[in-house]
Amino acid sequence: MTGLDVDLPVGGPAAPGPKRDAALPAAATAVPPTDVEALRRGGRRRRGKATRLFAWVALALLGVVFVYPFVWLVSASFKPRSEVFDNRLIPETFTFDNYVQVWQEAPLALWLLNTVIVTVLASVTVTISSAMVAWGFAYFRFRGRGALFGLVLATMMLPGAVTMIPVFLIWNGLGQVGTLTPLWAGNLFGSAFYIFLLRQFFLGLPRDLFEAARVDGASQWAVFWRIALPLCKPALAVTLVFEVQAVWTDLMRALIYLRDTETFTVPRGLKSLVDAFGFGGEWHWEIIVTASVITTIPMIIVFFLAQRQIIDGVASTGLKG
Amino acid sequence: MNRLHSAGAIVAGAAAVALMLGGCAVGTGGGADDDADYDPDAELSGELSVMGFSGVDEVATSRVEVTEAELGADVEVKLIEGDLDIQQFLSAVASGEPPELLYADRDQIGSLAARGAIIPVDRCIEGEGIEMDQFRESAVEQVTLDGRVYGIPEFNQVQVTMANADLLSAAGVSIEDVNGSDREAVTQANLALAKTGGGGVSVIGFDSKLPEFLPLWVAAAGGALLSDDGRTAMLDSQEAVDSLAWAVGIYEDQGGFSAVKAFRDSADFFGEGNQFATNTLGAMPMEQWYINVLNEVSPDAPMAFDTVRTTDGEPIAFAGGSAWAIPSGTENPAAACRWAKAMTSLDAWRAAAEARLSVREEEGKPFTGILTGNSVADDEIRDMVTSGGEPWDSGVEAMYEANDNTVSLPANPADAEFEQAMQDAVNSVLNGEATAEEALAEAQTTAQKALDEGWEKLESRDE
Amino acid sequence: MTSTASRVGGGARQRPSDARQERERSRRRASRRNVRSALLFLSPWLIGFLVFTAWPMIYSAYLSLTDYDVINDPEFVGLANYAEMATDPKILLALGNTAFFTVVQVPLYVLVSLALALLLDRAGRASSFFRTVFFLPKMTPPVAVGVLFLLLFNGQNGLVNTVLGWFGIDGPAWTTDPAWVKPGLIFMSLWTVGASVIILLAALRNVPEQLYESAKLDGAGFWRTSMSVTLPMISPALFFIIIVNTIAGLQTFDEAYTAFFGAGNTTYSNDAALFYVIYLFQQAFEFLHMGYASAMAWGLFLVIMIVTAIQLIVSRRLVYYEGER
Repeated sequence: MTGLDVDLPVGGPAAPGPKRDAALPAAATAVPPTDVEALRRGGRRRRGKATRLFAWVALALLGVVFVYPFVWLVSASFKPRSEVFDNRLIPETFTFDNYVQVWQEAPLALWLLNTVIVTVLASVTVTISSAMVAWGFAYFRFRGRGALFGLVLATMMLPGAVTMIPVFLIWNGLGQVGTLTPLWAGNLFGSAFYIFLLRQFFLGLPRDLFEAARVDGASQWAVFWRIALPLCKPALAVTLVFEVQAVWTDLMRALIYLRDTETFTVPRGLKSLVDAFGFGGEWHWEIIVTASVITTIPMIIVFFLAQRQIIDGVASTGLKG
Repeated sequence: MNRLHSAGAIVAGAAAVALMLGGCAVGTGGGADDDADYDPDAELSGELSVMGFSGVDEVATSRVEVTEAELGADVEVKLIEGDLDIQQFLSAVASGEPPELLYADRDQIGSLAARGAIIPVDRCIEGEGIEMDQFRESAVEQVTLDGRVYGIPEFNQVQVTMANADLLSAAGVSIEDVNGSDREAVTQANLALAKTGGGGVSVIGFDSKLPEFLPLWVAAAGGALLSDDGRTAMLDSQEAVDSLAWAVGIYEDQGGFSAVKAFRDSADFFGEGNQFATNTLGAMPMEQWYINVLNEVSPDAPMAFDTVRTTDGEPIAFAGGSAWAIPSGTENPAAACRWAKAMTSLDAWRAAAEARLSVREEEGKPFTGILTGNSVADDEIRDMVTSGGEPWDSGVEAMYEANDNTVSLPANPADAEFEQAMQDAVNSVLNGEATAEEALAEAQTTAQKALDEGWEKLESRDE
Repeated sequence: MTSTASRVGGGARQRPSDARQERERSRRRASRRNVRSALLFLSPWLIGFLVFTAWPMIYSAYLSLTDYDVINDPEFVGLANYAEMATDPKILLALGNTAFFTVVQVPLYVLVSLALALLLDRAGRASSFFRTVFFLPKMTPPVAVGVLFLLLFNGQNGLVNTVLGWFGIDGPAWTTDPAWVKPGLIFMSLWTVGASVIILLAALRNVPEQLYESAKLDGAGFWRTSMSVTLPMISPALFFIIIVNTIAGLQTFDEAYTAFFGAGNTTYSNDAALFYVIYLFQQAFEFLHMGYASAMAWGLFLVIMIVTAIQLIVSRRLVYYEGER
């Protein structure tokens, strides 16, 4: 999650637990129960043909509005410099030059590689650590559990700006400013939003399974690692995908921590191209446009690969906005 | 309970370690060059990372070659990619890993010095024997604070008036009407040249290049924005108010700044679709390097050139340029100093001019000279200039004339804040949120406060 | 949980009090073991919380009372930073920009996502296709969205104004006219409503069918049905979206920063897009005024807390939860 993401949990009512869980902040209880299954059913209600026709026409028009910026961007990336702004759907002069040039102007391959490194490290670490913590909250009963979990939720409300500077000083003191470490290492400690999400999932699993394993002498860790985790694959997938997307949108942290062009991630790199070739710079919009296309495509691919997880995840929890 | 305690202790311990490692705020800057040895005959070694200098053209690469020969083979030079990002530099200094050398704008030097991010280069100049009297006085003044020199200057940027001769004659105005010598004439010429209507602007008559050129207009009116000693802001002087009101009026007459800017932003500034080649701009003052760009991408553009002129008709330009500075806490000041000396030396400029000349000859284009900030080098290079025929020769002429008649913003330890205050003022007038007088009065207060704080910081550092 | 340990009770012949003590002891033993294991599982978050949340909060509160630029030692200045904030015209500007953005953007955002969700709900089998279409922009990196904004909304020849021109509307200079910069950014932000649409669609699909049927029997028309069935039933989701977007709106950064700030960008309408977090970022990492920026951060925290608290109080009154009487 980027430092500025604010997510409030949405989900079913917390599983019936001891009264202490009532100490959760109001924010967490002011959320709607959502039934993901409901999304999958088509429109259930029989509607008049006229209504449906109207809806289709309106959706088609709006769909064009929503898709056209992508079309425009891709089309512009095949136009020579002088035609980028001409708004034609089909480029008058079709050229691949921009795609050749963008690799020469910027170390795009390196940026993509850096981003992939950060993405893998960030999403894997945050998934495992958040799952551990979520399990700790879902499975064990101890005094103060509700209050502690309330604290987890409360940290979601904290604007990233408050901790941004001291955290920078910590990484600075550790000599990690200028490296990729600060972009992912914080994820070793889990992230409140995912902890919430995974805890919900664990609470929905039948307890008897774990009790039985304990009676058979499995260690606490084994119960978590061998039984609980495999059962929670769908939620883990949602966590992974959300975090992948978060890394690709994390501009501010990249601005704070990255100095050399070689260490840039994709958002930071794209921003540097806007600075170099935009209005303040050399007016090479075709480079910026092409780089934008190249950096957006991986996200689109991720979406189509993990569409179901993303839509379900959003529906049951709410991605920022 | 013991085990419980131990688990808690592990957590607490880990947290404490992390805090100790990274927690406490202390200054990380510092380190002057007191123990550095500057000696022109010394054999140098070690690493030399340079920030802010991306030498890609022949003028840069030829000088780097000369310089690397001076440094010797044992010095490992690393040019950090990309233009200077002050934030990046400061964060590098803050993290205790500054580059060995910084290449910055001369008007950024003061703030960096006040911060303690760069050190004075007086010992370097003395030790390496850099001939400061070769440099243009105005350039050296720009990097001198409180009697100490903080950078070795190079390059000079000056503005000349550039105009589209076809549009001028069609509108029945001459280059003299747009060189600033008669502001009323500029206003009238702008009205005659501009074409606005239905869908916004289609031809910009005159572009007074706000906010960046306000200092030029104030200087041309005989005023100044800052006292010569760099201590007293004069943003609210009559000359400043009048110049700003006039320059904003130029935009107002064309449907407002935002319309002009939107039109300007859509032009292919560095390509063959530039505003002069496409006959969409009457005239504007612009930095001299743009002459080269125009000559390169649109050699047939109907150009006309003149210097920018004061209201008394004298040539004037507001000079800026770059400088080499040594960051505080640097590990290899000796090599940094040698580099700065070599890059700005006569030999290096000679090599650069020759390289540029041969490249231009190969392309069948004229060599239009280089403004080096080093007057001895300037004179030598001027003799190498080749003719490109008119109008380009008169452009080069104007450029050299401007270079001999420059003023610049006096060095001060708050140049970043000063610049910001000035820009904010100009912007609020352009937006119609304030009159020139109100906006500049507010900027005056802000800038003066920043100046006072800056000088205080600098002087406490010098003690 | 009832751990295995607590089932190992004493024999039946023990006196009741002994048995109780024994049970008590073993429960405590079990719960200690439990706490230890729980702590191990929770330790990543506990450490992270201490190092990356609790300590930084304390520390930024301290920094907000100092003058600190990382290069030199911090200098204690008391409340001077907060006093400076009160007189800094740019703080007022940034707050005004941020308030404008949030107040205008959030209602629009909610209305647009509700309208789209209602349409999708009526579209039958086509809805999953269109759901994808509306969600795709959400996957676009914000920097690319900022780029698109600059290009599509260019006042001279951007696509938006070209389209407006077909209808005889002379579009404003969105990217350069300070009066239009924020509206432009708001319109651009509506492009990424996808996630809210999906949340609302899920809520709509969750409205029990019988409610609609009984409304029909009562002879309620579309309007009455919407007001008395649909809205109350989806109000929790609506409020969730409002709260989350308000918090996000107050912290707008990426798109505006991409388009108007950063190295070498002295675009003249910066001021109109100077949102609070952008100014805070500049103070912290461009001017290295770490103390001042910390004070600004606490100001932001306060504002967000107040706004969210108000929204929660209001939602208590207006939101209908199933099971409430």
